[in-house]
Amino acid sequence: MSLKKLLKPFKLISIAHKSGVVTVLYPYQKPLITTEFRGKISIDATKCMGCGACVNACPPNALTLSRRDDTIVLNYFIGRCIFCGRCAEVCPVGAITVTHEFELASASTRDLNESLVHRVEKCSGCGGGLGATSRMLQYVILRSPASENYVHLCPNCRKKKLIQSLAMKMGARTEDYEG
Amino acid sequence: MRVNPLKKSIWVFHLNTGSCNACDIEILDALTPYFDVERFGIKLVASPRHADLVLLTGPITRKTLPKVINALRAVPRPRYILAIGACAVGGGIWYDTYSVIGGVEELKKMLEENGIEIDKIVYVPGCPARPEAIIYGVAVLLGLVEQKVHGEVKIAE
Repeated sequence: MSLKKLLKPFKLISIAHKSGVVTVLYPYQKPLITTEFRGKISIDATKCMGCGACVNACPPNALTLSRRDDTIVLNYFIGRCIFCGRCAEVCPVGAITVTHEFELASASTRDLNESLVHRVEKCSGCGGGLGATSRMLQYVILRSPASENYVHLCPNCRKKKLIQSLAMKMGARTEDYEG
Repeated sequence: MRVNPLKKSIWVFHLNTGSCNACDIEILDALTPYFDVERFGIKLVASPRHADLVLLTGPITRKTLPKVINALRAVPRPRYILAIGACAVGGGIWYDTYSVIGGVEELKKMLEENGIEIDKIVYVPGCPARPEAIIYGVAVLLGLVEQKVHGEVKIAE
């Protein structure tokens, strides 16, 4: 065996020493996360108004909205989320923020679900469901203050109110409606 | 169920079930010296018969379903699945498409019908999942770390 061949491992050692260690010691060393990195989204329960703008924007339907008589439930299934951040873009109140969280492994899909339950406001006229949360009503009132007079009424009660006021203008007596 | 992580190394088999190859590239990235998963004893093997853990990517198309079932049947017990990426976890973008069965959740039911038991499934969301997330998923599977996400129900006041 030639001397050159014998010295080859030592040559490699010197090369390895020069280039250093490239391995990222992941659990002990912080992974490279830039400011643009998009991870799991977080929904702020104190800001969200349950309008469903994020649900319309979500490409894989990871965000779903289920409307029931007295609740609106916004469900976020992380397992289907593609981390595009569109929901955060469209949220009108800025309730959704994109976090840097990516360690989302879980042993069951039940742990990957996050729900936010909203209570539905009642119609101030008939007491039926209004289909909107109190924050949605506040949002509408803030945008158009004139709507404050009828925003707490359901469509049927609004019609009744309109007809009533029209009839009053045309000279109907109030007793007709109170009886 | 806790697997003793010190008792043996985890040998993995990479099973693509119709994914777009983004998750597969991340898996290959995790296997390179940059992340060097062999320091945890994780080693890629060529046959499911040698594997402990199946790295499953993709939403499981109808075409690949019989092959997936055959491959999983070949894995010796205890058999584990690491569902990597949004597609494998919940169907992803394709969750209601006609040509896919929609993730490992659905596959689990079909395997039960075929008499194939899966000892543990760990879901790694991400589109694609980061190599660190895959390593973290294996750590969750082995019981080395506590999982961070827990399903929660918040109530808006």
